[in-house]
Amino acid sequence: MSILSFEFLLFIAVIFCVYYVLPTGVRWLALLIGSAFFVFLSGWQSVLHLGAIVLGTWLGGLALERVKRKRGLLCLLLILEFGALILVKQDTSRAAPLGLSYFTFQSAGLLMDVYRGKVKAQRNVWKVMLFVGYFLQLSQGPISSWKDLGEQLLEGHPLRPVSFVSGFQLMLWGYFKKMVLADRLAAATAVLTQETGALPGWMAAGGVLLYTVRLYADFSGGMDVVRGISRMLGIELPENFRRPFFALSVAEYWRRWHITLGGWFRQYLLYPLTISKMGLKFGKAASRWLGKKTGRAMPTAVTTFLVFLLIGIWHTFSWNAVIYGAYFGLLMAASILLDPLWKKMNRRWKLGQKRWMYPWRLVRTWLLIFPAQFFAFTESTAQSLAVIRQCFAGWSFSGAVDKLTGIMSAKEWGIAGMAFVILMLVDILCEAGFAPCERLAKSRIWVRWPILLLLLLGICVFGIYGPAGDSSAFLYTQF
Amino acid sequence: MAERKTNRRRELGLFWMRVLGFGIIAAVTLGYATYVLTPKHDYGICSMVNFYEQPENSIDVLTVGTSLAYAGVNTNVLWSEYGIAAYNLCSAEQPYWVSYYVIREALKTQKPKVILLDAKPSIYTRDYTKRGRTVLSTYGIRGVENRIGAMVACVETPADALGYILGLPQVHSNYETVTARDFAIPLDNGGRGSSWKGYIEVDEVEQHRKPSLVWNGMQRNMNEREEEYARKIFELCAEAGVNVMLVGFPNPDYASDHMYYNALWTVAREYGVDGINYNNPDLKFGLRYSSDFADWQHLNVKGSMKFSKKLGEDLLKLYDLEDRRGDEAYGSYEICAQKWYEKYPSFVSSGIEKEEGNHAD
Repeated sequence: MSILSFEFLLFIAVIFCVYYVLPTGVRWLALLIGSAFFVFLSGWQSVLHLGAIVLGTWLGGLALERVKRKRGLLCLLLILEFGALILVKQDTSRAAPLGLSYFTFQSAGLLMDVYRGKVKAQRNVWKVMLFVGYFLQLSQGPISSWKDLGEQLLEGHPLRPVSFVSGFQLMLWGYFKKMVLADRLAAATAVLTQETGALPGWMAAGGVLLYTVRLYADFSGGMDVVRGISRMLGIELPENFRRPFFALSVAEYWRRWHITLGGWFRQYLLYPLTISKMGLKFGKAASRWLGKKTGRAMPTAVTTFLVFLLIGIWHTFSWNAVIYGAYFGLLMAASILLDPLWKKMNRRWKLGQKRWMYPWRLVRTWLLIFPAQFFAFTESTAQSLAVIRQCFAGWSFSGAVDKLTGIMSAKEWGIAGMAFVILMLVDILCEAGFAPCERLAKSRIWVRWPILLLLLLGICVFGIYGPAGDSSAFLYTQF
Repeated sequence: MAERKTNRRRELGLFWMRVLGFGIIAAVTLGYATYVLTPKHDYGICSMVNFYEQPENSIDVLTVGTSLAYAGVNTNVLWSEYGIAAYNLCSAEQPYWVSYYVIREALKTQKPKVILLDAKPSIYTRDYTKRGRTVLSTYGIRGVENRIGAMVACVETPADALGYILGLPQVHSNYETVTARDFAIPLDNGGRGSSWKGYIEVDEVEQHRKPSLVWNGMQRNMNEREEEYARKIFELCAEAGVNVMLVGFPNPDYASDHMYYNALWTVAREYGVDGINYNNPDLKFGLRYSSDFADWQHLNVKGSMKFSKKLGEDLLKLYDLEDRRGDEAYGSYEICAQKWYEKYPSFVSSGIEKEEGNHAD
C-alpha cells in the first residue's frame, strides 16, 4: 500500500480512530496491528524477512544479556542480518521486501545498544516487532534508535490538538512536495536521462540539477508525510532533512541530508572504529609519520572515508554508487585532514566574520556536491560520463523554448517553478528560525484554514496522481 | 482535578467541532473544484445535465446510445416536421451498462412513449469502458445510486470506481483546459441554453460507398456484458411500461456490424421488442453515402435531416405520438428548432453558404 494512495488515507483514518478510542495503556496495540496489516499487504517476502529479523532481534537481545561471549554473538547476529540484506539487495531480479534496509539498520542498532548496555533487551516480542516494523517508517525511514522511538511507540499518547494540527500540516506539506513538485519533475528528468547524448550542455547540467531538486522534494516530502502522520498520533519521528540546500560545507550538507542514516553510521560505525584499539594504534603510527595533528586526525579521516563508501554502496551495488560514496568520502577525509589549516587561515584573516563568505561558502559547497549528482542521476558510469561530457559539449540556446516545452508544457514548467519557489520560501523561513509550521498550528483559524485549504487544493488539483499521471514510487522506497 | 477534566473536555469538543468545520469547507471546496475541472463537452455530460432542465413528462421520444445516435437523431427535424418531442440522452461510445443507468435515471422524471435504443453497442467487445468515455457518460448523472452504479459498471474492478466516485482523481489534470465558463453555475451547455434537446451536429463531409453486404440472418455472439445489460434494459422498460425500439443507424462501416446486430435483434425479440435497422438496403429514403456522412460512422447535418425525416415517419406509424406543436408546455422545442434552423445555413455539410458564395461569384 503506497502512502500516496487513497486506501492509505482510509487506513490511517481507521488507525486514528482505533488508537484514540483504546485506553492509553494499550494504544500501542493499534499501531502493532496496523503495522502487521501494512506489512502483510506488501507481500509474503516482507512478512518473512521482517518476521525473521524481529525474531532474531528479540532472541539475540535476550541472549546478549545472558551470554559471556557477547562480542562474538553480536558479530554473528550482525553478520546474519547484514548478510541477508546484502543477499536480497544484490538480487535485482526480485523486488526487495518493503523497508528492508531501514528495519535491518534499526534492529542492528537495537542489538548494539543492548550489547553496550545502553538499553535493556525487550522481553515482549510484540514490542520488538512494533519498533522494528512500525509501518510509517517502512516506506523510506527514518532510521531511529530504541531510545528515540521505541519508548514513544509504547507510550499511549493523549490527543493533543496542537500536535494533531501541526502533524496534519506537515503531512499536507509532504504531499505537496512529493505530488506537485517531485512527481512533476520525474517526467522531465526521465526524458533528460534517456536523451543525454542529444542534449545541449545546459540541458544536461539542468537535468542533473532538476534531479537533485526532485530527489530532495521526493525524499523529504515522503518524510514529512510520515512524520506528520506520526505527530498526529503523538509520536515524534526524528528529522531526516534539514534544508540541505543551505549547507555551507560538505560536512554540513551530510548533517542536513538523510540525517538518520548518517547518524546511524556515525553512532554505530564511525565512533566505535575510530576509538577502537586498532584505530588508536593506527593514529599513533600515523602521528610518527605525518606529525601529531595530522596523525591524530588520520583514523577519523580513514573511517569517515569508509563510512561514506558504505553509504554509497548502501544505495545500490554499482560502480556509480562506489564512485558517489568514494567521492564524498575523499572530500570529507580531506576536510578533516585540512581542518587545522582552515582554522589557522580563519584566525589570521578572520574569514568567518566576512559577509561575502556566506554566499561563497554556499556556492562552493554546491560546486563540490554537484559532480557527485551526475553519478546519482544516471544508472551506469558510462552514462554518467556521457552526461558530464555533454555538459562541456556545447551550450547552444537556439530553440531552447521548444526543447523545454517538448519535455513538459509551459504550464507544467510554470507549476513546477511555482512549487519550487514556495518550497524555497518555506525553507528560507525555517532557516531564519521563523518555524512556519509551528506558528501556523498555533495561529487563529482564519489565518490557518485558508492556507491549509489552498495547500489541499494545490495538491488535489496540481498533484500528479490518478489515471492521468500516476504518482511515481518514492525514490528511496527501494532501499 | 475536576476543573482540569472539564477544560480538557471543552478543548477536545472545540477541536472536534473545528475538525468537522474544516472537513465540511474542504469538501465543498474540492467539490466545486471537481465541478470546474469536469469536462463539459456536448457529447455526454452536457445532454445529461440539460436533461434535468426539461419539465417532467415532457419527452415523448427518448434516444439513448452512442455518438451515432446523437449525431443521427435530429430532434429539430422531428419537431418541425412532425411535432415529436424528442430528446437525445447519448454519449460517445456509450455501452449498454451506461445506457441502463441513464434510462433508470431518466425514468425518474419522464415517461416517454418510446425509447430509441442504439444498436451499435452490440458490436463492442470490451468488458469495461475507456477512461475518458466513463467520465463523459457518467458525470452528468445526478442520482447517486445510478451515477455510482454506472461508474462501477464501467470499470474493471469495483476498486477502480473509487477515483470516479471521488471525481477529482479523474478530472484534476484538466486544469490546462479550464476556461472562465467552467466556473459558472449552472452549466451553460456550451452556449446552447436549456432548450437544447441533445442533437449534436457532426459537420463534415466525407465521401463513402454504400456498404456491400449480404442481408442475411447470420449472427455473431455479442459481448456477454453488453447482452446482459441489453436484457436489463428490456426488462426495466417492460416494468416501466415504456416501449423500446431498436435503431440501427446507417453507417458506411456497417458490413462488419451486421451479425452482431442480428444477435441483438434475436435477444430483443425474446422481450417482444423490435426495431428498424436503417442499414437495410431495402429501406430507401434518399440517403447518399457520397455526401451525407461526416466520417466512416456518423451522419453529417444533411444526412441527419434525411434520416430523421424517415425516422419521424416510422415513429408516427408505429407509436401513438401526439403532434405537440402549438402546445405552450412544449415551447422549448420550438425555440430549440428555430435557433437551429437559423444556424443551419452556416453548417458546411448543409452546402448552403457555399452555394450562395458561388452564386455571388
